[in-house]
Amino acid sequence: MKHNRLSAWSAMAASLGFAWFLSSCAPPNSSTSSPSSPPATGKPRVALVMKSLANEFFLTMETGAKKHQAAHASEYELLANGIKDEQDVARQIELVEQMIAQKVDAIVIAPTDSKSLVTVCKKAQDAGIVVVNIDNKLDAGVLADKKVKFPFVGPDNRKGARKVGDYVAQKLKAGDAVAILEGAPNAFNGVQRKSGFEDAMKAAGLKIVSSQSAYWETDKASQVVSALVTEHPEIKAILCANDSMALGADAALRAAGKQGQVLVAGFDNISAAQQLLQEGKLLATADQHGDQLAVFGIEYALEMLQKKTTPDDRETPVDLITKK
Amino acid sequence: MSEASNQPAREAGRYHWRRVAGEYLGLLLALGLLVLVFSLLTRHFFSATTFYTIANQIPAAVLIATGMTLILIISAIDLSVGSVAGLCSAVLGVVMVQYKVAPLPAVGLAGLAGLACGIFNGLVSVRFGLPSFIVTLGMLEIARGGAHALTQSQTQYIGSAIEPIASLSVLGLSLPFLLAVVIVIAGQLVLTRTVFGRYMIAIGTNEEAVRLSGIDPRPVKVAVFAITGVLVALAAVIDTSRFQSANPNAGTGFELNAIAAVVIGGTSLMGGRGSVVSSFFGVLIMAVLNTGLAAVGAKDETKRLITGLVIVAAVIIDQYRHRFNRERATQQ
Repeated sequence: MKHNRLSAWSAMAASLGFAWFLSSCAPPNSSTSSPSSPPATGKPRVALVMKSLANEFFLTMETGAKKHQAAHASEYELLANGIKDEQDVARQIELVEQMIAQKVDAIVIAPTDSKSLVTVCKKAQDAGIVVVNIDNKLDAGVLADKKVKFPFVGPDNRKGARKVGDYVAQKLKAGDAVAILEGAPNAFNGVQRKSGFEDAMKAAGLKIVSSQSAYWETDKASQVVSALVTEHPEIKAILCANDSMALGADAALRAAGKQGQVLVAGFDNISAAQQLLQEGKLLATADQHGDQLAVFGIEYALEMLQKKTTPDDRETPVDLITKK
Repeated sequence: MSEASNQPAREAGRYHWRRVAGEYLGLLLALGLLVLVFSLLTRHFFSATTFYTIANQIPAAVLIATGMTLILIISAIDLSVGSVAGLCSAVLGVVMVQYKVAPLPAVGLAGLAGLACGIFNGLVSVRFGLPSFIVTLGMLEIARGGAHALTQSQTQYIGSAIEPIASLSVLGLSLPFLLAVVIVIAGQLVLTRTVFGRYMIAIGTNEEAVRLSGIDPRPVKVAVFAITGVLVALAAVIDTSRFQSANPNAGTGFELNAIAAVVIGGTSLMGGRGSVVSSFFGVLIMAVLNTGLAAVGAKDETKRLITGLVIVAAVIIDQYRHRFNRERATQQ
């Protein structure tokens, strides 16, 4: 029967497809640094748990960590993992649990959510694993509530955004109107950057006529900015919490024939932003040196493993980047 | 309709136009209502600038919604449109930036990428009798992975080399907008005036009956997926040109926006019923809503609540309109 054969085929293909689908949900990096690799003799194993590798920033972070490990191959082993989607908190918690089960010596983590990850990090610490918090600081209130402490290594996003905002303010005069494009509303670094922009605007006496989220995305940013410059033609500058949104703002201004009349600033210093800067379409952005961030975290973890002490938090630099 | 055939052709023509107007009345009403509300709430929403802005922003969404309408009509679904748009955009960006390919051949390559993804979706679901839901869910991952692999997850900045596509304009309306309008009209004509269109509706209504009447539905289905792939590639080219850059995350979530717009337009998720022109109005409603809410400066949570409510309300209005039309038709 042709029909039966066909349905058997499709059932097989369906189950294969499903198995493939499940495997495709695995972290994008699991193949290069398999979590199931056997523990090596002596060398400490450091797990780096990042946010989305789909984000250029974390890819830079991972590349930096891998370079460092290659140069210090005799000192430690590195297991680098990221999640597929920055919003996928549950997946990141699972990753940390897997690392605990793997009995790694240290976990260096950039939490996707500053509250939800505290419990599982405490679990790791209770299991005798050294935990270092990088990039996005875990919530102080929850840490106090759980009576735990992890050293934090990372940039102060608020200060960084303040620097960008101050530079923009120099080009404007008191009373001028500006707008802010925020990141995803639940992202702590996004909230920090918004606060930093606000600090700078307040200090310079500039008027924020609108502050809206464009979810870090180019497309949404262009939509919001188009509407904003129509509704508030007096806007003199747009401060974006990341560079992808700055690209969208630039596109919207170009379409509205206002390129050059409205200043645009970003954050992150991605490669596309560097070109926009040179073309004068972007006034300023900020660089948090993602490639160094994970390295600092790893060095901290190794130091803690050796000296059995808990060092203080360490603030990493955020640099203002403008046209050369 | 035996009476209608006895009446002069003029009468029949008038009836036809009344029916066409009735078809879009609900949508136009919803659209007018939104425009009215936002015009009252803001200073500058009701202006030519806003309407040109919206017209120049929606072409990509219109093309994707057109493809999605055809897909839903054959009772399938395509969850991969957003990722495929991301992949096509990545192809365009990478070949132009890293391999210095000229814009035209680069656009051709992006189109081929879209076509290939569409054919893959169609062939795999037809050959193995798999639901398109799962095949295109797979493609959603494959294409996004491909986009990231090609670009190394880095936004490719193309610059003004790609600009002409989006910036050419006639009477303030961009070339992409005019292209989108032409494609909507062509899509509607194919759907209502061609054998291919009839087959699509028949497949969506009852695929088994189509097969039993001696017509092989499989080539039609593959063709619909392929057409959608090309439309998605076109959409990606338009957006890449607008942003002068190719972001590997571009198009994330487009599939749901497209499905929302198409369903607002009254196309059935069960297949067999739909209209490309109505989907165009669906996209317009979503665009007016987004622009209006941004102009008002609404809080993020408010925006999401209102967007959700408008989607549901628009579908309810459409349901009533359908029932009303059917009752009128039975009375006549």
